[in-house]
Amino acid sequence: MRKAFVVASSLLLAAFALQFVFAAVGAFTKPAGDGAYALHSVNGMAVIPALTLLTTLFAALAKAPGRLIGLAVLPLGLVLLQVLLAALANAFTDASGASTPVGLTIGGLHAVNGIVAVHIVVNVLRGARKLASPQLVAAVQAA
Amino acid sequence: MTTGSLLAADLVIAVLAAAGWLGAGAASAARRRRLSLGLAAFALLATVARAVTVTALARAGWWFAEEKVLIAGPLSLAAVGVAGPRLRRAVPLLFAGYAESTALLVTVLHGYPATAGAGLFAVAVVAGATAITWRFLGSRPSRRLYRSTLAVAAAALLTGTGLAAAASAAPPPPHHHQYQYRNVAAGEATRRFTLTAATATVRVHDREVAAWAFNGQVPGPELTATVGDVLEVTLRNRNIGRGVTLHWHGYDVPNSQDGVPGVTQAAVLPGQEFVYRFRADQAGTYWYHTHAVSDVGVRMGLYGVLVVRPAPVTGIDVTLPVHTLGGLALPALTVASVDPGEPVRLRLLNTDNTTHRYALAGTPFRVAAIDGSDLNGPVSLVDTAVLIPAGGRYDLVFTAPSAPVGLFVDGRLVYSTGPVSLVTAGWPVLDPLTYGVRAAVPWSRSDRRFTLVLDRGLDLHGLLPRYAYTVNGKADPDIPPQVVHLGDVVEFTIVNRSLVVHPWHLHGHRVLVLSRNGRPATGSPLWLDSFDVRPGDVWKIAFLADNPGVWANHCHNLAHADEGMTLHLMYA
Repeated sequence: MRKAFVVASSLLLAAFALQFVFAAVGAFTKPAGDGAYALHSVNGMAVIPALTLLTTLFAALAKAPGRLIGLAVLPLGLVLLQVLLAALANAFTDASGASTPVGLTIGGLHAVNGIVAVHIVVNVLRGARKLASPQLVAAVQAA
Repeated sequence: MTTGSLLAADLVIAVLAAAGWLGAGAASAARRRRLSLGLAAFALLATVARAVTVTALARAGWWFAEEKVLIAGPLSLAAVGVAGPRLRRAVPLLFAGYAESTALLVTVLHGYPATAGAGLFAVAVVAGATAITWRFLGSRPSRRLYRSTLAVAAAALLTGTGLAAAASAAPPPPHHHQYQYRNVAAGEATRRFTLTAATATVRVHDREVAAWAFNGQVPGPELTATVGDVLEVTLRNRNIGRGVTLHWHGYDVPNSQDGVPGVTQAAVLPGQEFVYRFRADQAGTYWYHTHAVSDVGVRMGLYGVLVVRPAPVTGIDVTLPVHTLGGLALPALTVASVDPGEPVRLRLLNTDNTTHRYALAGTPFRVAAIDGSDLNGPVSLVDTAVLIPAGGRYDLVFTAPSAPVGLFVDGRLVYSTGPVSLVTAGWPVLDPLTYGVRAAVPWSRSDRRFTLVLDRGLDLHGLLPRYAYTVNGKADPDIPPQVVHLGDVVEFTIVNRSLVVHPWHLHGHRVLVLSRNGRPATGSPLWLDSFDVRPGDVWKIAFLADNPGVWANHCHNLAHADEGMTLHLMYA
């Protein structure tokens, strides 16, 4: 189970890395249409939540400490917040659909929240690896 | 503050409250006492602030607040009641966090109308999450409290599932009638056109763009007629695999000619053809477009202009259909030479999915018609912009001055009579509800009333759950049809609870605007077929049910229509 926890959290981190790639794909797609962010949307709203739940499940089954389980489930809340931030950024547009400073500020928070989420997943992966091989980690730290 | 920004602000505050409680709980579990207390105080403040926004929303209209009062209200009370006196303990704080987040999810994923099923699911989630938290934080309460929490979660889950299953039982399939259509007699003066749909490469601003085109051009050929002519349009499909049809946007044709696949005809597949025939008895600016895979089809270029004139053209008469093809803005700039004193009519169309802003600089002008219908007593305007909704049309008229004039669309010059350099960005926007002079309307009664609440929500129809655009909490094809009788005056109340604009479009009927956000329309009678229902807006419109058949009634942001925001009006 501890190994499964490491694998799941590694996959989650990889999905997050891809999410940044897909955001760039969306930003540089020409012409920019609604479909430009399709990969970003699917990865963000299906793959990442599923992997987060899987990671949390394995964390619980691996009898990880409560703090680590809490940390593992946290990205789920942040992903929901991400979706809301994206929707709100699009909501704060002027009458003809052009962006406004308020909307762009909220859009900026979408990036900040993404960075926070990655930071958390990195910590979850560290915790998972420590749990999987405490001696190894201790040895590495001693050396 | 508009109701639209109130909706967004309420959402922001709800997010802050949920995050605050959860953060406080986590900080408390990690024994960060001061951080926890600070976050809890912040969350308490946000929860109380939400009472203010929800009250304001309820005053703007019950539709905006229903689930926030009936589901989020009790959950928030429970959150404050449980966590308020225990601001230093982790589980009560996390309980408040679960309650606030679940309430937020009910708004975002379920919305209007609030159902007992949604409420029970929310209770099950909160109770279940609290029980799990007790287990993992090792701070289990008395056996009785723990067991009863689990029992509440299980009971709420079971009852909620039962109620949801009962509610989602399929509606009876729409029954088809044989209608008596107003048909066109053979042998009248007929204008014949042939439109062949095919894939094509078109040049836009010196770039090659892959498109779907009628007769190899985007937009398709401009169809013109004089009132009284019979139009006969043969539609052929060469190679559009997903099929094409022709819908006459804003033109109240007999139902059999309306071009909605699966409702009034089958989609015309490659190699097939279909002949449309109807009398052009409404003058004005209209357009045609495919209604088969309409979002992709129209965006790719299967659209064109239909102009019906009361008499042969006098003066300058220009059509300007605005479209975005492959990310490039159409039409290209036209520079015309116009003699001073000549009457000019600019027919402005918006064939995109979103609103555009049009600004005519260099001359006073009048808005002679909107959506093909002439306005009563339009006054002269200067330095004023107009916002045209998706699918909408405005006819601007003016007498050519000696100095050049220019028409800007979203700041881009698309038509001019000479060099113009003006900044039109700061101009005020015309409100058509207060423009022109009042006149008698043909009826003041209403025989049948419908309310359409536009929102988003999770839709479990089909194999994959989708985050659909919904009407009254349901998405196409699960929205029950609106049944009317011939001769009824039908009133719609259209409410937008969502965060995006929905350009509403009813087929087969022009609708009269009665009021927007409680304020009656005071200008010229407004007969529209496309109007923007902005976030937080409540529109009341009415129409005479005088055109029997089954009519699509949908959002003309065609991506939204594809993702659920389509229903049907049918005659009993």
